[in-house]
Formats: sequence, structure tokens, C-alpha cells
Amino acid sequence: MKTDLMTIGLIGIPLVASPIIYLLGRWTARTRRILGMSLAKLLSLLVLVVEGALLFLSVMVWTQGGTVKATIGDVLVGLDGMGLMVGAIAVVLGFCVILFSFAYMKDENGEEKYYALLMALIGSIIGLGCAQDLFNLWVWFELMAVSSFFLVAFYNEQPASLEAGFKYLVQSALGSTLVLFGIAILFGITGTVGLWNIWATVSNHSPLVYVAGGLIVVGFGIKAALVPLHTWLPDAHSQAPSGISAMLSGIVIEAGLVAMLRSLSILAQSQFPAGTVLLVFGCINILFGNLLAFRQVEVKRLLAFSSVAQVGYMLVGFGVAVLSSSYVAAAGGFFHMMTHAMMKGLAFLAAGAFLYVLHIGKGDHAPLVMDDLNGASRKYPVVAFFLSLALLGLGGLPPMAGFMSKWQILVATASVKSTLMICVIVFVALNSVLSLGYYVPMINRMYRLTPSETVAAGMPVNWVMIVPMVILTLGILAFGIWPGWANLLNYNAAASFLYPFGL
Amino acid sequence: MADGLGVFLTVIATVIGSLAVIFSTSYMKGEKQLGRYYAFVLFFIGAMAGLVLTSNMLLMFFFWEITALCSYALISFNNDDPKAVRGGMKALIITSVGGVGLLLGAMLLYIYNGSLDFNTFLADSSKVPANVLGILAFGFLIAAAAKSAQFPFQTWLPDAMEAPSPISALIHAATMVNAGVYLLARFYPAFADVPGWRDAVMVVGVLSALMAAIMALVSNDLKRVLAYSTVSQLGYMVYAIGTGNILGSQFHLLSHSIFKALLFLGAGAVIHSVGTRDMTLMGGVGKKLPFVKWTFLIGALALSGIPILNGFWSKEMILEGGLTGGSIVYYGVMVFVAGLTALYTLRMVWMVFYGDPRSDYHAHPTELAMKVALAPLAFGALVSWLIIGRFSTMLEKSLPYHSLEALGIRGMVHEVVSWPTLIALGVITLGILCWVFREKLTGLKKALNWMRWLAEHSFGFEAINTGVVDGVNASAEGLRVTQTGLLSWNLLAVLGTIIIFFTLFAVGA
Repeated sequence: MKTDLMTIGLIGIPLVASPIIYLLGRWTARTRRILGMSLAKLLSLLVLVVEGALLFLSVMVWTQGGTVKATIGDVLVGLDGMGLMVGAIAVVLGFCVILFSFAYMKDENGEEKYYALLMALIGSIIGLGCAQDLFNLWVWFELMAVSSFFLVAFYNEQPASLEAGFKYLVQSALGSTLVLFGIAILFGITGTVGLWNIWATVSNHSPLVYVAGGLIVVGFGIKAALVPLHTWLPDAHSQAPSGISAMLSGIVIEAGLVAMLRSLSILAQSQFPAGTVLLVFGCINILFGNLLAFRQVEVKRLLAFSSVAQVGYMLVGFGVAVLSSSYVAAAGGFFHMMTHAMMKGLAFLAAGAFLYVLHIGKGDHAPLVMDDLNGASRKYPVVAFFLSLALLGLGGLPPMAGFMSKWQILVATASVKSTLMICVIVFVALNSVLSLGYYVPMINRMYRLTPSETVAAGMPVNWVMIVPMVILTLGILAFGIWPGWANLLNYNAAASFLYPFGL
Repeated sequence: MADGLGVFLTVIATVIGSLAVIFSTSYMKGEKQLGRYYAFVLFFIGAMAGLVLTSNMLLMFFFWEITALCSYALISFNNDDPKAVRGGMKALIITSVGGVGLLLGAMLLYIYNGSLDFNTFLADSSKVPANVLGILAFGFLIAAAAKSAQFPFQTWLPDAMEAPSPISALIHAATMVNAGVYLLARFYPAFADVPGWRDAVMVVGVLSALMAAIMALVSNDLKRVLAYSTVSQLGYMVYAIGTGNILGSQFHLLSHSIFKALLFLGAGAVIHSVGTRDMTLMGGVGKKLPFVKWTFLIGALALSGIPILNGFWSKEMILEGGLTGGSIVYYGVMVFVAGLTALYTLRMVWMVFYGDPRSDYHAHPTELAMKVALAPLAFGALVSWLIIGRFSTMLEKSLPYHSLEALGIRGMVHEVVSWPTLIALGVITLGILCWVFREKLTGLKKALNWMRWLAEHSFGFEAINTGVVDGVNASAEGLRVTQTGLLSWNLLAVLGTIIIFFTLFAVGA
């Protein structure tokens, strides 16, 4: 198989499919519209299956020593370990979210726009992973942002949803501008935007490199929810349709993080203190994310703040990786990215299922609050079990995957053998315990015997919503018990992140 | 990897686990969501067996946390009761905080030892530098103290008594709380020479034993008395490890698992029948529940250290070891605690089973499943000390790094029957006499009122817990102002970050 065609297909198919999905959904006359919408939904699933197959084939090509890249005009695109990581997460999580949305979004106006935008979002994330120069990285990043604005503000008759979308838009746009400044400065210094060309020429440490690095960190950091740049996130996550919350938390903010890592890795030869920056932001994120989540009463807001904390664990892993040139740490960071996508994806889907059967399904856009969950297990045992499992996994308890990924990050931190790193371990581990303080009460609520009034009046859960949750649950348990299965993805991603640092 | 230490703890977990399950079939009858209950019980038994059988540090921590998870889920089994929920969370949080010590230790062990297998580390700990060995030793001590409800983490165990009684018997008396003792015993050969470690272990054990015994003396809640007594007895085991008496600590662990599971299940039968845990409302239960009374009495005598029950032999072994292994002050305190133990046990037995009923309770007869569970334990409390020969040979043969010496029955009798035992027995008798002549000791009681006040306030540890929780809540609440929801503030934060960044670079670069 021709690898350049494969690459182009990988990037192109979702983007081509997106308008087709939209048009199929718009297919007029009443009866045909239902047919068209079903076709659109099936097409979106099919596209993701094809994308998954292409990613799998790419790995096959790698194992035979080949590379997966293509030149479109002057632009070089290619799949590497980090690209595979974000691509795989986007495809798998996207598949689950689309399946979930079949039931969740079925009565909404503009359903076709939802699937079309979601497909564009997934395509742009795959593209972001494949970008080989800074400018294209930025373009894909923008495309991702633009497609997600509309998804966040999808309930466009709800003021809260519009407000969240607007804040997200403004902050994200500010971030993009800062990134663009940073890229412009790097282009000014080196005369190129190609990743490796910049890497080769920035070795002298002009102060401008610091300025560019700082702008890139802050710019991408807005998307990656670094504290204190995270302020858009709780609104956006809680107001978006639940499937989109899962995407935002599971892969969109991580895509921002990967874009940041990619940009920082090409500054490896300068003196820019990337490792310290990542580590410090990691610790701040963990502490503030946990404390901010601690007193939340809205379920989706709580999960949103917990994402801030979870990104912190990844940052610690990447920071340690850069500081101590540790593959294991970077692989741990990527492993946590993956397990977090599954766990938080599951948590948002389960919370979404509750939100749907308790509120949205009845046309009520009230948020899902803690008290709604009281006794939920009596009526919705399966969903309650999935939500509990996801929350315990996020809290880092075995046998869920979150335990293993946190272990890997911390074990790599320990291998630095320094007092400071021991303090970091204790800090991170204590924070992990702290996070149990807000995950666990939710579980206790669900297993009360007397259901809340909201639960008593709830609708039955559609089995279509259950299927994606089952997939994610199996993934969480499987990677919790056999963490080695993830090594292929983790270590390839770690290798492509750390290669510019001379590893 | 199965060795004597692991195998005998697995046997305890599975045998007492089975009895607890049998007991539950009648105790939990009529409860809702029993699937969740039994699933977690079995999950726990499996995790406990895994914890003691593995020689891999990662798996050990893995199972360590699973036992904490199960313990939490079972304590707060009745989620409608806020006290149960609080108790479960408290257990989970405190043991997990201690777990950080094990996590750190496990990781450092792996990094310096080059292998996750702790046997290579026990065989040769020279690869680990002295200061790291210190972190390991004290990290494991913190983890063990949290898991085994020892000073200063003891507060979670009494609150864990909101769990159904079979759970208290299985998890909070016979198995999980022993995991800490197991951990210390397992790593004793590597840590014995760490400066200050053995003393620290002894202090932890002595303080726990003493404080908990005093608290047991003033509590009126039947299960809380047993919980305090568990802390106190675990203190004996920890103390024994500090004195280097691994055999004694493990033998007491065996005895304690049997008689304390017996006591908890007996207490469960009483509570199930009478419908309250408050001992001031009981009295005279023995007439209604003769079977429970006699089995409970056997357990109580074993706990008090009365010859020839199993608790007597193992406790005396610990005290003998303490005489040579550590400071005489610690020994004195532990002998004193033995007297206190007899006193509070007798008080408990008396308040529950003897005298006249102090309230209008209605006692149901004991069910068959409960008797089936109680009888083998009572038998075990009577005779389990006879296996000392096999027990010690097994530990000696399969633990190459502990240099234990096997001890036959004759050897044990020879060791125990000596003048220090007479002192201990004298103190125990003194404790009993204190109860018998309690009417005449009102002066002493008044003089010790301040102690009572302290004990009822758990010596201030509850205040520390509350302080930490309030502090976290207050700071979390306080931080909420940062989420203004106003776009201009959000953008200001971005700007501020850029400014801080550039300032730092300008200063640093």
C-alpha cells in the first residue's frame, strides 16, 4: 500500500466526510430526512472505523521499518508516535461519543450539524497530530477550535450555553493569537516553520526564543487548561452536550497539550526551560484543580475541574521526562492521557446519560446536581456502576487503569533519585488522595436506597447509550490489569516527543 | 510466591472470610443490594490473599489499595446513614494517606534495587543507600500504622464500626488491619538496623496499645469497645516487631484473628438480636442468648490473656520478648495495658451479658448460621496455641531472611512459664479485681476523671482530623472566588501569566 495515499486518506477522509454528513442530514422531504439522518450517522461511524483501520495499517508499516508521510503541495505531513496517540484517542473516543449521541441528540434541532462538526473536530485532531511544521500545526489547532466552538454552544437557545461558548471563543482566540505571535517570532529568528529546521537553527539562545516559548506555552496552555488559564473550561465542559464534554475533556485539551509539547520539543537545543515550566504548571494544576472541584455541586462542573487536575498529572510526567530525559516518564504522561480519555470519557457519558434521563430528555436544561444522583443505582444500576468505576479510576484506585498510569508517572519521577522529586511524588500522591474526597461522596450518593424525586421521575436509559460505556469500561479494566498493552502507543509517543531532546 | 507468612495470612483471610459469609447469610437477611455486599466481600478476600502472597512491590501496592477500596465500600454499605458514609470515607482517606508511604517506599525500592521483587532486596539491601533505606523504613511504618490503625492514625477504626458486624469481624479485626503488621514483619530484616526505626516501631505500638485500652475503658458502644481493643492488640503486635520478636507478633496475630473475629461475630449476634449497640441499654443478655454468651466469654478470656487460651500464650510470648528486646519502660507499660485489657473486657462482658436488663429490649434467639460461624472460632480460641510447633517451623523454614527459631509446645511452655509471666498474670488479676471492687474505688475513679475526659475526646486526634478537613474545605471554598465567570478577569489572568513568565525569564536569563 502506498503510504502517502494512506496519510492523505487519514487526514482527508473525515474532512471530506464532514460536509457529506451535513448534506445527507439536510436531505429535505420529511421521510427522506429520517433516512438521510440515519445514513449520516452510519457514515460517521464508518468513517471512524476506516480511520481506525488506517491507523492500524500505519503501525504495520512502522513495524516493517517504513514511514507514514506525504507531501501535499509544499506541505509535509506525517504520522509519528504522538500523532498516533492523539489520533487513536480521537478515533476511539469519537466512536463512543457518536454512538452515545445517537440516543442523546436524537430530538435536537440541527442534529446533522452536530455530527458534521464532530467529524470535523476529529479530523482536525488527527491532522494536528500529523502536522510537521509549526504553521500547519497552528492551522489544525484553529480548525479544531473553530469546530468545537459551535459544539460547545450547540444548545443555541440556552443563554448559559451561549455564554460558555462565547467565553471559550474569546479565550481560545486569544490563545491562538499568542501562539501565532510565538510562531512568527520563531520564523523571524530561523526563517523557517518546518519543525526540524527550527530545531536545527535555534541552538543559540537569543532572548527572543524565550519570548516565543513563553507565548507558545501560554497560547496552547489556554486550550490545555493550565491554571490560571483554565477559566473557560468549567463553563464549556458543563454547558456542552455531554458527548462533546467527553471529547473536550478526553482529547481536545490534550490535543492542545500535544501541540504545546511538539512546539517545545523543537526548542530543545535552546535554553528554554521546558521541563521546569511543565513540572511547575503540573503541580499547580493538580492542587488547584482538586481544590476547585472539591466543593462543586454540579456534576459536570466537578468533572471539568477534575480534568484540570488530571492534566496536571500528565504535565508532571512530561516535565520529569524533559528534566531527566526519561522515556518512562513521557510514556507515563501519554499513558495517563490515554487512560484519562477513557475514564473521563466514561464519566462524562455516564453523567450525560443521567442528565438525559433526568432532565434533557424531558426538555429541561437544568444542570445535573449532586442531589439528583441520590439513590440513582436503584433505578439505573448499570449507569451508576459505570460512573462509580470511572470516578474510582480517576481517583487512582486499582484495578482501574488510572492507578497504573499514575504509578508509571510517579515511578519515573522516583527514578530521578533526587530529594525534590521525592517531594513531588509525595505531593502528587497526597493530591490523589485528596481527589478521592470529592469523587467518593458521589458514589455514596448513588448507592443510597431511597431515590431522589428526580430519579423517581426519570426515564428509562436507552441501550444505545450503554454500549459505548461498556466499551470504555472494558478498556479501563483491561489497561488497569494489563498495562503493558498500551506500551506500543505510549513508548512510540514518548520517543517522538523526546527524540528532539537527543534521545 | 507463597511462604509461611503469606500462607498463614491467606488461611486466616479465607477461613474467617468463609465464616463471616456464613454468618452474613443470617445477619444480613432482609437487607437490600446484597449483591454489592457479597461481591465486595469476595473481592476483598481475593485482594487480601493477593496482598500477602505476592513478592512484587507493584502488586503489593495494587492489592493494598484494593483492600482499602473494599473496606470503604463495605463500611459505607448502608449509604443512607451519613455516619456510615463518613466512616467509610474516613477509612479510605486515612489509609490512603498512609498508603503514600508504601507507594514512595515501593518505588524507591524498585529504583534502587532494580527489581520489583522484594526478596532480592531482603537478601541484600546493600544496593540501597542508608538515607534511602531510612525513607523506606519510615515510609513503610507510616503505611503500616495507617492500615493497622496505629498511633497517630488510629481514629478511623472506631468510626469504621458503622460497617455490618461480619465486616468488622473480617476486615477490621481479622485481616485487613493485620496488613500493616504483616508489612512490618515482612521487611523487618532489612529495616532492623535503620537507626531509630525499631524504637519508633515500639513507641507506635506502645502508645497505640495504651491509648486505645484507656478509650476502650470509657466507651459504651459495644463495637467501639471491640474496635479500641483491636487497636490495642495490634499495638502489641507492632511492639513485638519493634522488639525483634517476629514469631511472637505473628503468633499473636493468629490468636487475635481468631478471638477477635469471635468477639465481633458474637457482638454481631447480640446486636442483631437486641437491636442496639449501646451497652448501657443491654444487661442480662446472657440469659436470653446462652450460646452467644459462652462463646463470647471464651473470646473475652482469650483477649484478657487468661491461661490456657490462645491469647494468653501469644501475649506472654510478646511480653517475654519485650523484656530483652527493648526498654524496660515499654515493657512496663505493656504489662500495665494487659491489666487494663482484662479490666475493660470484664466491664464489657458484664455490661452486656450479666446483671439485670437496663432497657426493654426484645431478644430474638440466635440463628443456626450464626452458631455455625461462632462454634469453630470458639474452638480455635481454645486450642489454636497447640499448633505453635508447626507454625514456628513453617515460618522458620520458609523465611530465610528473618532467622527465626522454631519453637515446640514444650519450648513455648518453658519460655512462658517463668517469673515475668507471674507479674503479668498478677497485673491481669489486679485488673479483674479493679472491676470486682469497682464500688469501692470511686475515689480513684474521680481522681482519673481528667483521663476519662481525654479518652472520650480521643486524646485530641479527632480534633486534628476535623481541623484538616475544615482546612481543606475552607481553602476549597475560598478558591471558588477565582472562578469569577467574568471574561475580563479570565483574560486578565492570561495577561498576568504572560507578564509573570517574561519577568521570570528577564530575571533568570
